[in-house]
Amino acid sequence: MGDEQLGGRAVVRSVRRPDLALPGVAVMPPVVARLPQPVAVRLPLADVVVRPTRLPLLDVMPRVTSCRFPRAAATAAAPPPSAVTTAPRPGRPPSALDGDAPPAAGPRTRIAPPKDVVKLAERFFYLLQPDLETMLQAGRLEFPRQPFPFQLDGMAFLMPRHGAVLADEMGLGKSMQAISSIRLLVRSGEARRVLVVCPKGLVSNWTRELADWAPELVVAVVEGDPQRRRWQWSLPDVPVKVANYEVLVRDRDLVAELGLAFDLVVLDEAQRIKNRSSQTSQAVRGVTRGRSWALTGTPIENSADDLVGIFEFVAPGHLNDRMTPKAMGTAVADHVLRRTKDKVLKDMPPRLNRDERIELGAEQRETYRRAEEEGVLRLAGMGEEATIRHVFELVLRLKQICNFDTATGESAKLDRLKAELEEVQASGRKALVFSQWVETLGRLREDLGRFGALEYHGGMSTTARDEAIRRFRHDKQHSVLLLSYGAGAVGLNLQFSQYVFLFDRWWNPAVEDQAINRAHRIGAAGAVTVTRFLSVDTIEERIDEVLRRKRNLSDTILSQAEAPAASGMTAEDLFALFRLVPPARLAARPDAAAA
Amino acid sequence: MQHRETARPDGLTFGFLTVVDSPTHGVFGGYLVVDELGRPVEFHCTTPVKVSRAQQILYGPTLHGHLHGRQIGATLLAEGTTQPEIVLTDVESMLQVRPHTSLPVALVQRADADGAAAGFVIGAARVRPHDADASGEAAVRDRLAALGAAVDLCEPFERIRAAIDEAQRH
Repeated sequence: MGDEQLGGRAVVRSVRRPDLALPGVAVMPPVVARLPQPVAVRLPLADVVVRPTRLPLLDVMPRVTSCRFPRAAATAAAPPPSAVTTAPRPGRPPSALDGDAPPAAGPRTRIAPPKDVVKLAERFFYLLQPDLETMLQAGRLEFPRQPFPFQLDGMAFLMPRHGAVLADEMGLGKSMQAISSIRLLVRSGEARRVLVVCPKGLVSNWTRELADWAPELVVAVVEGDPQRRRWQWSLPDVPVKVANYEVLVRDRDLVAELGLAFDLVVLDEAQRIKNRSSQTSQAVRGVTRGRSWALTGTPIENSADDLVGIFEFVAPGHLNDRMTPKAMGTAVADHVLRRTKDKVLKDMPPRLNRDERIELGAEQRETYRRAEEEGVLRLAGMGEEATIRHVFELVLRLKQICNFDTATGESAKLDRLKAELEEVQASGRKALVFSQWVETLGRLREDLGRFGALEYHGGMSTTARDEAIRRFRHDKQHSVLLLSYGAGAVGLNLQFSQYVFLFDRWWNPAVEDQAINRAHRIGAAGAVTVTRFLSVDTIEERIDEVLRRKRNLSDTILSQAEAPAASGMTAEDLFALFRLVPPARLAARPDAAAA
Repeated sequence: MQHRETARPDGLTFGFLTVVDSPTHGVFGGYLVVDELGRPVEFHCTTPVKVSRAQQILYGPTLHGHLHGRQIGATLLAEGTTQPEIVLTDVESMLQVRPHTSLPVALVQRADADGAAAGFVIGAARVRPHDADASGEAAVRDRLAALGAAVDLCEPFERIRAAIDEAQRH
């Protein structure tokens, strides 16, 4: 059997073979199956019109946000590089920022917008600025030395802020950071009139630093008689004016009368305005200004109120004295930048602290004993009439005896100091000696003549003080500089000194730190040894205990931590120095006079 | 597409054009114009563009060139109000913007980057002009000399990315 398919018809064909037929078996007739005829299906392909689907998404243009920045001012304030390049000064190594190549790829210091800048366009303005390394290089800004990375961070912090407190530990270059920031703001046209206010003794320091770090800026110092000052205030084309606090207080009406307005006011040693009701604070706050920067290594000397006072200038109303330290820490976080040497200058020479415990000689000890006993008896006898002032007077008298026996002139401290200075002089080093009293400095100078001792204190004219610094810096014959805490603790750069002696102790540890940091600061060539004289078993030891308790207050607020139990010097502290109980009316009152 | 504005204020300007691909939002474009010291003159950024699967299939390998060059790059350049000397990009597909602008366009890469060979070096950057501008390579080099002396040519793209990042958060 086989199948065939022909013309679409299937045929089953049977083949009969007689030889295979079996007898008696009927042969069945063949079966023929007929398949149905195929039906043709018409597919109307030719009639279909193809309609492609459109995908329009890529044709939708994105929306664009645009910002344009003031360019004309920037161009006018920043001449092309060739016009501002100045040759390196003789004897000064060129900064690593000098040269024709852009900064190498690597970590860059960028300006971040402050948190209180909320408009996107304004935030873009800061984010789109070149990094500081590029700015400095592109502007061909000459520097006496390469700024440290943390100093660039400080500039990036200051530049975008209208209210800022740079609270770096003393010696980290706050003025240099402020000056470099001023320089860049003037160049970019963001600042045209800048006022720097500083203590009188630091005016020459500021003019020197301005000449070093911003040599192309014209600077005018406002000083002299009223007529001269009026002329200086009125000078129109001077981008930077420097005035001391006293001048500003004296000229506050004149400044208002002249209608002076500054794009930026910088306060150096801004703790000067911690007392909001003081004339200094009011005069400073009365100046019309766009930006307010405060520089201080000790934003909190005694209590959180100090910071509130500074913020009345920096950002009025931002802080109040009802805030807890923790809330205050949170509120100031974006306005305050504080770095300490141990955090940012890992390679800075160490500061070696020594507490020299001095045993008073027999006669000096006897004078001291008698004075304390009499004083305590007098205080105890005053009962409720005793005041903090009475306690202070006794403390001061006892401290003076610890320095020099008022009866015999004997001084165990002086003997020790002479011995120490022998070594300092023999090694060709320099030493700073601090005291609270100008009178003490005078006596020391008489006794330390062979060390070429020079004095530096508020009783001297500015010219005489500058001359003393010059001689101490350059003349090898002068191994010792005698300074008062008041005049010598702030602003001076004496990093070529390797030894600091605190002949007597100040009331406030922050002021002592400022004094020490005249020597222990950037540029220090080696370790700085700090020797604090403490007369054994005297009022000095007891004050030292109180100072140790106070030392942590500043860190508490600036690190947003909880306040320690003891944070200031109270009436109880003062009377307790003599194991006395203060009168009831003074018992609960914190004593601001202890500053 | 021609550049809309031909104003040329005092001093040279330079354009930096790039895209940021955000996995969640899509592709953002950013265009920064700086002066010869690298300071910002103007900035434009786009809303994100999302690409569908269908578009990926349909455009195939030409997708990025079209998306970056035509959709984003040309749109951004059209917003510019100052005419830069040259437009630099760090995204190769953004070179496709060249047919849509009269400005010369060049690719910038780190000089030590893999595969960066053609073009010329300025500082730490290698610059490769678009083929349409290749004959004028010397002119492009001259135009970039002032900027390249002050600014690392790869750096402004970091600023654009930071600004786009800020725009996403804002």
